Amino acid sequence: MRPPRGPWTLPETVSFLALVFRNLFRQRVRTVLTVLGIAAGMTIVVALGAITEGLRITSAEFVGAGGADFLVAQEGASDLTFSVVPADDVERIAARPDVERATGALIEVAELGDNPFFLVFGYDPQSLVDEPLPLTAGRVPDPEAAQEALLGARAAADLGLTVGDTLTVDGEAFDVVGLYSVEDQMRDSGAVVPLSTLQRMSARQDVVTAIHVTVAPGEDPDEIAEAIERDFPQLATIRDVDEYSKVDQGFEILDAANLAISLLAVGIGAIGVMNTMIMSVFERTREIGILRAVGWRGSRILRMVAYESLLLCLIAAALGIALGVVASRAVLLIPSISAFLTPAYPPDIFLRAVVVGVVVGLLGAAYPAARAVRLSPMEALRYE
Amino acid sequence: MSERAIDARGVRKSFEDGHIQALTGMDFAVQQGEFVAVVGPSGCGKSTLLHLLAALDQPDEGEIHVGGHDLRRRKDLNHFRAQHVGMIFQLHNLLPTLTAVENVQVPMFEEGLSPGERRRRALALLDAVGLEGRERNRPPELSGGERQRVAIARALANEPAVLLADEPTGSLDSEAGRLVLDLLERLRRERNLTIVLVTHDPEVAARADRVVRMLDGRLAPAEEPATATA
Repeated sequence: MRPPRGPWTLPETVSFLALVFRNLFRQRVRTVLTVLGIAAGMTIVVALGAITEGLRITSAEFVGAGGADFLVAQEGASDLTFSVVPADDVERIAARPDVERATGALIEVAELGDNPFFLVFGYDPQSLVDEPLPLTAGRVPDPEAAQEALLGARAAADLGLTVGDTLTVDGEAFDVVGLYSVEDQMRDSGAVVPLSTLQRMSARQDVVTAIHVTVAPGEDPDEIAEAIERDFPQLATIRDVDEYSKVDQGFEILDAANLAISLLAVGIGAIGVMNTMIMSVFERTREIGILRAVGWRGSRILRMVAYESLLLCLIAAALGIALGVVASRAVLLIPSISAFLTPAYPPDIFLRAVVVGVVVGLLGAAYPAARAVRLSPMEALRYE
Repeated sequence: MSERAIDARGVRKSFEDGHIQALTGMDFAVQQGEFVAVVGPSGCGKSTLLHLLAALDQPDEGEIHVGGHDLRRRKDLNHFRAQHVGMIFQLHNLLPTLTAVENVQVPMFEEGLSPGERRRRALALLDAVGLEGRERNRPPELSGGERQRVAIARALANEPAVLLADEPTGSLDSEAGRLVLDLLERLRRERNLTIVLVTHDPEVAARADRVVRMLDGRLAPAEEPATATA
């Protein structure tokens, strides 16, 4: 009678991959430590990717806020909030026959309670009458009132304020006259106050940060955007988030940091994997000789070592992806960040982790596999 | 007269840039189905001869034919090893992470057999070497004799015509060694195997059809080809 299978016993037919898997877990502690080391790098790659992508989406939502076709801001600004657009340009763009509507917005970052990044948007009150925000409570501010504010739904919830309460920003008190709920997280987590009031508060008279532009019916937004860039060389148009770097170099910095971390993860991971695989091949020198003696070709030996390395790294990638998601969600525990950021998980950030894993696996396997293949069967068999 | 399964002529092999002369013009022939024991003092070149016959190493000079294959002309020596010779070592050299039945399948990977065929063939081989019921045991769970029988089954995995055994009983007690030799004899009869067995042990050598003595890298005078292949 055949004995029962143990926990690591596969069916009687062993596959090449099962052999690879078992080789990898002979030295479990070493394998687990290597996996954790690589996974740490992957975690940062995934978490940073998710956060960057979340910021992109938040920004993209703002680009299309209020149904605008595109956003106009100062060319080359290091951050959108640092963009300076003359108020005259708002009027000039609004006056174009191919533009239906151009709404200037001033954005101010204020410290509010524990949140150092509370966004305050200054809009011409008349524009709020003409294109009202979707109110959930209260009313549109009186165009003549300088100290009335609308509060985004998320901001109201975070601050515990509602209609009739007072919102104090940088020492200025505003009566909350309405609550609105919009898709874009930047505005939903902020407040809207009269443009002139915010210009005075921020000592930025006669300027706005950006212009929301809606083109006239029948016009091509791309063509109009190009025309505005031609006519206003100091301005840049942003039709989608990919163009955001024209007015905000923050993403370029984040992308560069992400690339640098990915490269570091690859470099450090490859060294770790190579170390593990060299040890593994070294320990199995005699076994490799046996495999050659029973007829295994060098290519199969190479594949065995490469697959072990790849499997190691793919396990690390899976763990890194899971931990990266957890880490990016953990960031949301910080209220000031959760106010304007929801991490996003497009497939490409996971794909990037897998690609990093594969590259690390292949780089880490290259030398050990070559060494294993170069071993002559006789040398390997003599090895004790 | 039966065909020669092994025919080696004028084989020379040296190591360490010629400082160690392992084989010095060795002529050696074995008939199909013959069981030949190779004996001689340590360092006389017995294992080197076996390794050359298994295409694990290349001679410096001379020609070696195994199963009609001229090893000088074979490019794919791995394939040759997988197909035409089975090797048994003094130490069983099984893969410790694999069960007995899995170890037997290892040489079959290069043969492109389906998993089912590999399994069927490996189980049949384990039955043939008397290990029915031990298929799922790993090497550490088997006795020395059982491990060596798994190694024999592995050597037969691809149904080779020639079995090369390097001190196969050297690490076994006498009873286990006797059982292994009984097994080799039986397999030889049943499968018309050609067996070349290297040993120090005269009792083991006595089980062979013919004993070949080596001295200083060649056949001892009494075993020159005229008598050795008669």
